[in-house]
Amino acid sequence: MASTSCSLLRLEPGSMGSIQRIEGMNPILRRRLADLGVSEGVMIRLKGKGPFLGPITLECNGQLFAIRRKEASMIEVNVS
Amino acid sequence: MSSIALVGNPNTGKTSLFNTLTSSYEYVGNWAGVTVEKKVGSLKNGAGKLIDLPGIYSLHPLSRDEGVATQYLTEESPEALINIVDASQLERNLLLTLQLLEYGKPTVLGLNMMDVAKARGISVNPEVLQSRLGITVLPLIARTGKGSGQVLSVLEKTSAIPRVTFKLDYGELAEEAIASIEKELQAIQGLPNLRWIALQLMEQNPVVLELLKKRVDTSRLMAICDSCQSELQSRKLALTLPQWIRSVRMDFIRSLCAAAMDTTLIKPHNLTERLDAVLTHRFLGLPLFIIFMYAMFKTTFDWIGGPLSDMVDGFISGPLSDGANSLLQTIGASGFTHALIVDGIIGGVGGVVVFVPQIFILFLMISFLEDSGYMARVCLLMDSTMERMGLNGKAFIPFIIGFGCNVPAIMAARSIEQPKDRMLTTLLLPLMSCSARLPVYLLFAAVFFPAQQATVVLTMYVLGVVFALILCKLFSKYLFKNESSVFIIELPPYRMPQMKTLGRSTWEKGKGFLRKAGTIILAGSVIIWLMSYAGPSGLNVDMDNSFLAKFGGMIAPLLHPLGFGTWQAGSTLVPGFLAKEVVVSTMNIIYHASDAAGLEGQISQVFTPLSSVSFMAFILLYTPCLATVGVIKKETASWKWTFFSIGYSVALAYIVALVIFQGGSLLGLS
Repeated sequence: MASTSCSLLRLEPGSMGSIQRIEGMNPILRRRLADLGVSEGVMIRLKGKGPFLGPITLECNGQLFAIRRKEASMIEVNVS
Repeated sequence: MSSIALVGNPNTGKTSLFNTLTSSYEYVGNWAGVTVEKKVGSLKNGAGKLIDLPGIYSLHPLSRDEGVATQYLTEESPEALINIVDASQLERNLLLTLQLLEYGKPTVLGLNMMDVAKARGISVNPEVLQSRLGITVLPLIARTGKGSGQVLSVLEKTSAIPRVTFKLDYGELAEEAIASIEKELQAIQGLPNLRWIALQLMEQNPVVLELLKKRVDTSRLMAICDSCQSELQSRKLALTLPQWIRSVRMDFIRSLCAAAMDTTLIKPHNLTERLDAVLTHRFLGLPLFIIFMYAMFKTTFDWIGGPLSDMVDGFISGPLSDGANSLLQTIGASGFTHALIVDGIIGGVGGVVVFVPQIFILFLMISFLEDSGYMARVCLLMDSTMERMGLNGKAFIPFIIGFGCNVPAIMAARSIEQPKDRMLTTLLLPLMSCSARLPVYLLFAAVFFPAQQATVVLTMYVLGVVFALILCKLFSKYLFKNESSVFIIELPPYRMPQMKTLGRSTWEKGKGFLRKAGTIILAGSVIIWLMSYAGPSGLNVDMDNSFLAKFGGMIAPLLHPLGFGTWQAGSTLVPGFLAKEVVVSTMNIIYHASDAAGLEGQISQVFTPLSSVSFMAFILLYTPCLATVGVIKKETASWKWTFFSIGYSVALAYIVALVIFQGGSLLGLS
């Protein structure tokens, strides 16, 4: 099946994709994400979206965490 | 005495283990960043000191609490390390483990949360980890204390813990660079393991770089790193040197995990998923949070706390006062002693002790929030509001802790990554109504708004938060460079807090209050009473001619526009700076009330409902207490910001009280 890449925000809540690229992100956040094991090639799942266009909840390697939508849009994922 | 350091990722149970291995007790909770300062305790078997460090993901610190841990490892030299890893999150945890093994100290791996891993269908084989890493691996459940006996017996003799022999091969290019850096460093005395220093330098760890800069010209070292990096780039192995090191480590960890872990039966976090579906729901989440807060206040003040307080009051004003009176009469105490004990000490301290039940229940609720994992979710819910105000949702953890006491709350702000966000949180925290201010509201609410006590008290708390948000917007706009804030928060699995842990952490928080009652409130009460008993014309004067009245009278004119321009109100404010509880003690002494009912009667003659609201708002906002000022100075390391925090809050309190009283008067309220 052909894979398409899109912004993480486009994922349906509950579905997952593999991270293709993370670009233009604040370096502090980028490092913190790397600490949590979020980097290229890793599977990431969108769990849900918070109130008032607030942060979105993500799951990666069994760890739940939340980041803001603006930053999440910088993560590009591959969905097969 | 040997010293052993506890190191590991945030929220993996280091402090829980610390509490079982030592005879001391430190603060625990279910979010990342509970421990923000290193804590030292003595091992129960007397084998040495145990040092609990803040949680870190790597030795490359981002926030201030992480800096504490990294600095400890570079500058001090523990005999051995205990590395705590979360068995249910092994892959991420091992990244730190590898760096610790490179550090070269004898290390024991504590494989914690075996129960959590098992519940999720993950089975970890300690033997495989032990043989591949070459260190002792001990399975643990730190929350219940299971396995801590083995840890203790291994630590019995730190010299018997084998030296670390683990060495990861970073490939020809990187290994060459490591060797040349090690050679450069050989001449310098007193450095930890050179290979470790070299690797950390290649990873651009700022703490290690600072350490080296003090001793040596680092330009040659940097040149080695640069040429290694460009070589890696030209061979298309990696974009940067840190990335290369990381990927070598990750490859090793993946192969290790594949061998040591069985995840075929893995299950999702069922409970957590179901709770999150409701508690962080995009529409229901916030209303639910508000309902929880309201229920929390209702329980604290109306349902449980209120009746208990009445019982304590009944005891102090009844049997205790009567007993003291008759005892003093029997032994023939002088009028001075009699008045000092009954009016000064029992009146002043007793007036505050009455509120112990409410304060303990509030602490119990806060402990429940901390231990359940809901705290992190609150940050998530509040982030979009906080972002609009120029701060991030993570600041909400210190805010909630601040409802208990501002001092630990300001310390908790250390786990916020960005300096600007941390500073703003520190400056605004005193606006969170702490438990010391609670007695004032309870007293006034009971007198003027008996039917809506919980609502009145909740309003004060909300008022504090609202002003914090408004000022946050102003401060971030005008006082700080416009750097945008970032937000990331780990959401730990929910868990049911254990009664034992809850009881312990409630007691540890409440203990501080009791200690204050025996020290600063007692001293304050005695001084205030003396000032009310003595005057320019001698002892036992009419209180209106006492030193206290003279002193309060100097401030009173300033307070007149706020609706409480009496010397009595004025004289409560200055001692209130020492500890806010003293405001109520002072009132008890001034109004000569032996019980709450008497005091309430007196107060209703001096204050009106409107001026009482104005007074409560003033007490809420007027200045951080002395202990808080101390910790603000320590955390900001700046007198300028410390005075600023006092200055803005006094100004804010004055303006708000003025608006409430004058505005209310214009509207015809009284």
